[in-house]
Amino acid sequence: MTILEGKNITKKFAGLTAVNKVDFKLEKGEILGLIGPNGAGKTTLVNVIAGVYAPTEGDIYFKDKKISGLKPYKIGRLGIARTFQIVRPFSGMTVKENASVGAMFGAQGKTRSAKEAIKKAEEILEFVGLGDQMNVKADQLNVASRKRLEIAKALAMGPEVILFDEVMAGLNFSEIDQAVELIKKIRNTGITILIIEHVMRAIKRVCDRIFVLHHGEKIADGAPEEVLNDENVIKAYLGRRYKELIK
Amino acid sequence: MILQIIINGILKGGLYALMAIGMSLIWGVMDIINIAHGSFIMLGAFTTYWLFTLFGIDPFLSLVASMTVLFILGYAVQKYLINLVIRASAFITLILAFGIEIFINNSALVMWTADVRKVKVPYGAANFSIGNFVTVPTVRLLAFLLVIIISIILFYILNKTNLGRSIRATSQDLDAARLVGVDVARTYAVTFGLGVGAAGAAGTLWAILFPISPMMGGILTLKSFVVVIIGGLGNMLGPLIGGLTLGVTEALGSNWFGSTYENLISFTILVLVLIIRPQGILGGTE
Amino acid sequence: MKNDTRNFLICGVLLLAVAALPFFTNNFVIRFATDILMFAIMASAWNIIGGYTGYASFGNVVFFGIGAYITAIMMEKGGMNFAVAFIGAGFGAALFAILIGLPVLRLRGHYFAIATLGVAEAMKALVQNLEITEGNSGIYLPMLNLSVKGQYYFFFYMMLGTLVLTLLVTYFMLNAKFGYSLIAIREDEDAANSVGINTTYAKTMAFALSGLFTGLAGSVYAYQQAFIKPEPAFTVHTTVKMIVMAVFGGMGKLFGPLLGAFSIEIISEVLSNYFLVAHTLFFGIVVILAIVFTPKGIIDLITQKKFGLAYFLQNIREHRI
Repeated sequence: MTILEGKNITKKFAGLTAVNKVDFKLEKGEILGLIGPNGAGKTTLVNVIAGVYAPTEGDIYFKDKKISGLKPYKIGRLGIARTFQIVRPFSGMTVKENASVGAMFGAQGKTRSAKEAIKKAEEILEFVGLGDQMNVKADQLNVASRKRLEIAKALAMGPEVILFDEVMAGLNFSEIDQAVELIKKIRNTGITILIIEHVMRAIKRVCDRIFVLHHGEKIADGAPEEVLNDENVIKAYLGRRYKELIK
Repeated sequence: MILQIIINGILKGGLYALMAIGMSLIWGVMDIINIAHGSFIMLGAFTTYWLFTLFGIDPFLSLVASMTVLFILGYAVQKYLINLVIRASAFITLILAFGIEIFINNSALVMWTADVRKVKVPYGAANFSIGNFVTVPTVRLLAFLLVIIISIILFYILNKTNLGRSIRATSQDLDAARLVGVDVARTYAVTFGLGVGAAGAAGTLWAILFPISPMMGGILTLKSFVVVIIGGLGNMLGPLIGGLTLGVTEALGSNWFGSTYENLISFTILVLVLIIRPQGILGGTE
Repeated sequence: MKNDTRNFLICGVLLLAVAALPFFTNNFVIRFATDILMFAIMASAWNIIGGYTGYASFGNVVFFGIGAYITAIMMEKGGMNFAVAFIGAGFGAALFAILIGLPVLRLRGHYFAIATLGVAEAMKALVQNLEITEGNSGIYLPMLNLSVKGQYYFFFYMMLGTLVLTLLVTYFMLNAKFGYSLIAIREDEDAANSVGINTTYAKTMAFALSGLFTGLAGSVYAYQQAFIKPEPAFTVHTTVKMIVMAVFGGMGKLFGPLLGAFSIEIISEVLSNYFLVAHTLFFGIVVILAIVFTPKGIIDLITQKKFGLAYFLQNIREHRI
């Protein structure tokens, strides 16, 4: 079933059209990649889905219910979580407290007491691999751990859909591989994923489908082999040499 | 009749504008809200008072002295005190300013007692009339003209000199300015000095027009806030527009509701502006 | 768990010790302690919106004044007893906090601070001009019908009780979801929004709590003074004191403001005995030195167990330009 759908999404900022008449569909259980050059409108689209911006035109539907125009916290509670490109931990809190916040206020927050939420947070932290750093202050983590924490916060919310915004940026190769495994693990729990990425190594290995934005417009949408070999995509983003590089 | 009130408001507004220029400069460049602003105005006023009372120096001439003294004081306060906490949260700087305010006000109280004083210049009552309906006190008009002149001088410094360039660079990006070789500690000190110097000038003009006392600063700081907020940050004309707006509104309001409503009007405007249009009249959108 | 029980016991013992104070000292000390408790309430209440939520209000004295005036009007003009007026004061202050909080909490940082300052000053000016508040003449309250010593005891325990209430509510808040939401807002409001926190609701509730307890302090103060006027009731000096106390003691920490109130009041008292004339001047110096050398507050000093020169110098090194 289509769990998340955007129809004719347009977002304008005082003269600049960041997203232009974009349609997209996210099927339950899939991992959809969103790629494109910098400034293509990827983060803006995610921000529109997450409620940070209301679309100038068009609507977003979550499980057939219109959510465009709702405030971010409402969307979070309905079941859509997101991570930020530049991670935003709650610096003064510990890792456990950070994840607890997600568990307390996310989609299942209302059903949990504070104690239950903290317990849930501990489970999530084990799941993402931060089990041994639960009492460390968030601002003392290294980059890879911060990314895990960002993911943990989103997971703790108990979402049905997660929007990952360049979660691999700044990671080395082995860390990227670990992140890919984690994302697959997350999908296997039943969560649908939309992932913005520049790291092609990861996109290739993790996505069921890819769609491409360029200058705010969708220029390709389909299976990875098609999209990554598409002439337009290569011209706009990947570059000729890419075909040789990925062999 | 109403024209007279408006003229009064404009003249007082010019003075408010000068008070606010210093605060706006410091806030705009260093993101510091100088709670002690009124105290510096008070010091400028007393500099003028003592120069007049002890040495007979004409208040308008003492402008130079009060601006210089206050500049040096401001420079020192920034360099040796405020610079020590400036990278802590904005809040910490605020409390430091509170401490400085308490210190300056009470030092003045100890040295000069709480007596209210007046600078009585022989030409104080002089005025001239425009037609039959408007009387303009000469001293107030002079003060207004001086406000314009001082604003132009500040504008010139900020936009046409190297010093001004380093100030503007530092306000836009502290680290970038450092990287290109600007001595940020000194630049901040100079900026604070300029802002406080402007406060000193406002103090001098205030002393010529109104009675003064060591505790006069508090309400003036608050009024300066209102002016800066109304006019908007980041624009040299902001304090001018804000000051004139406040001056005229207070004059009209006092006339219609009574002078005891002056403060209520000022602060209600402040809150309303912040709620409806926090960037003020001239401020850009955040 | 053992740690928690131990802490509870220590607090309990200290509370009993403080509660027993009036029986062992003279009226002057009781009055002094009552003042400390009053400021501790206000500093702790400020801590809720300023320390935990990160919205530094510069106008909290407005709640103090509102609490004081509601009490005065209800008792003097409405003929009601103190119990009713006390509750009315708290409720009224909290209601005002919600009303003014909705528009004003949309602002951040400096703008929020100045807006709250403007609200406090506007309220003072309003009270100076209204008939029901008797303008600048002030309102007399009926006096408490007890012996002199009885009165001292009454106000001491009223303030103590209100402080205990404030701290208890804060403590439970910190361990509940609500407390987590406030700290999340302080650390990163946008991220807090994304994670599902209704920040408007949370901020407004925090502001209301802050106003409630401050209003209660004002209510007791009015009854204690038996007379209130706009200037002491709404003076910005009170706001300065409560903020300095909260920061000096340690903001964002449960007992920080209490510690700060205690220290600042003791220091002020010592100074005014030593330097009859210029004590406020030296108070200014104390504030300056405290903020430069211990910006994180005394609690940080104690919990980090660093008392040496190195700690102070490190603070400066971290924060200087």
